Amino acid sequence: MSIHTKTAVDAIKRSPFQAISAIFVLALTFFVATTVSILVFSSNELLSYFETRPQIISFIKNETGSEAIIALQNKLVLDARVKDVKYVPKEQALEIYKKATEDNPLLAELVSPSIFPASLEFSVTDLKLAEEVINEVKNEAIVEQVGFTANIGGEKSLGDVVSRLKAISYYLRVGGIVFVGALAVTSFLVLLIIISMRMTSRKGEIEILSLIGATPAFIRSPILLEGIIYSLIGVISGWTLSFIFWLYVSPSLLSYFGAIPILPKEPLSFFLLFAAILGAEIIIGLAIAITGSLIAVKRSLKKAR
Amino acid sequence: MITFDNVTKSFGSIKVLDGVSLEVKDGEFVFLTGPTGAGKTTILKMILREILPDSGKVIFDSKNVTEIPVKEIPQLRQQMGIVFQDFKVLLERTVTENVEVALAVSDVAQEEWEKRVKHVLKLVGLSNRAKLFPSQLSGGELQRVSLARALVINPKLILADEPTGNLDWKTAEGIMDLLEKINKEGKTIVMATHHEGIIKHGKHRIIHLEDGKIKQI
Repeated sequence: MSIHTKTAVDAIKRSPFQAISAIFVLALTFFVATTVSILVFSSNELLSYFETRPQIISFIKNETGSEAIIALQNKLVLDARVKDVKYVPKEQALEIYKKATEDNPLLAELVSPSIFPASLEFSVTDLKLAEEVINEVKNEAIVEQVGFTANIGGEKSLGDVVSRLKAISYYLRVGGIVFVGALAVTSFLVLLIIISMRMTSRKGEIEILSLIGATPAFIRSPILLEGIIYSLIGVISGWTLSFIFWLYVSPSLLSYFGAIPILPKEPLSFFLLFAAILGAEIIIGLAIAITGSLIAVKRSLKKAR
Repeated sequence: MITFDNVTKSFGSIKVLDGVSLEVKDGEFVFLTGPTGAGKTTILKMILREILPDSGKVIFDSKNVTEIPVKEIPQLRQQMGIVFQDFKVLLERTVTENVEVALAVSDVAQEEWEKRVKHVLKLVGLSNRAKLFPSQLSGGELQRVSLARALVINPKLILADEPTGNLDWKTAEGIMDLLEKINKEGKTIVMATHHEGIIKHGKHRIIHLEDGKIKQI
């Protein structure tokens, strides 16, 4: 163990309650930061899911020939107000139905592709144009009926759903950043106070070291290391607690949201998401520790001069 | 090795050094004597570049100490071993660790530490106290730790500020014997003291200060 590491570890052992306070505040900060990061990720996924849903489905009349369908598809593709045109034949419609009812295979056995109409699904570039486009498509001879995906939670249109989700996502992000920011500032200040107290208690030692020729970097090293130790333990504890929490709640959440991928379903992707958050948090934690320690050391050495 | 050229220093209206000029040669053992407040410690602090003179030059090893940039002060101090009246040992560290700190500060390779620490602890007679903490040592032993820390970096110069001031006569004599031994090995020693018995201990040059002026060399 290097002399600096030993000095840092000894300092922590000598004042365990100061160390616990610093680690506790940092752990709380990074628990909340991890949790908020996942909430922001999930809200983005939710928003993206609804934003990329086909907004308009035009069901094609039975017995319509493929040429007529292709003609309408081409017409829609060329329409500047329309985007993401997709043809869904009867067989694919059945597959979608089967997938949606995979929990109850009996429901799937009772149906055949013939009862599902083929459809042309598409979105509009601007939701304001939806009504106009729907009315036009309704007048097409091969179109049986036009559906407009929405009516979730009583909203009148998909636009309302997306707007509401955008607002929720925005407030979650802003609220999360403000809350995590306030906690990060608290951690920073707690670290600053603890390191300053440490510097005061080491005043005699610093004076001796300086007299025997220690460089400022030599004097700073154990203090910086101490801050880094607090920070790493705080980040890893907070992240681990949040990880355990999400591991525990994710099966229920995934089951509740069904097809909406609010969290990665693959274990590897799930771990990678948390690993990325941990990486970012370690960088932020180290930045807090190094900045806080350096400011405290600078202030204390300035006072001592 | 050390030259003071017409050095003056005042703290407010009190003139601590008044046109002091002196020289200490390589391998010399010099006593700085005089009553309290005569300027003995100020001279040592100037060599260490702890304080700067108001005027005049302080030369150490052909370098004007007063002109050394702040960032080079640690390198200057690493060439000197310092022994203080109040020992200034690290209370949370064992005897061995106190000595090792000086090696770490001077960036000596860690592989050499054990050999060097054993050697100096044997020299100062503290081999059997290596694992003890300062609170478990007597005053004389603490001063020996301070001396071991000063010697372990193999300095060109040893500055001792009243190293026997807090010790009884017998213990002080022991420390003086050690300093004599170190001086015979070729180290330059500048020792501030007002202890008459100590001054008579060896036949060394005495620089006597009074009211910031050299009265006798």
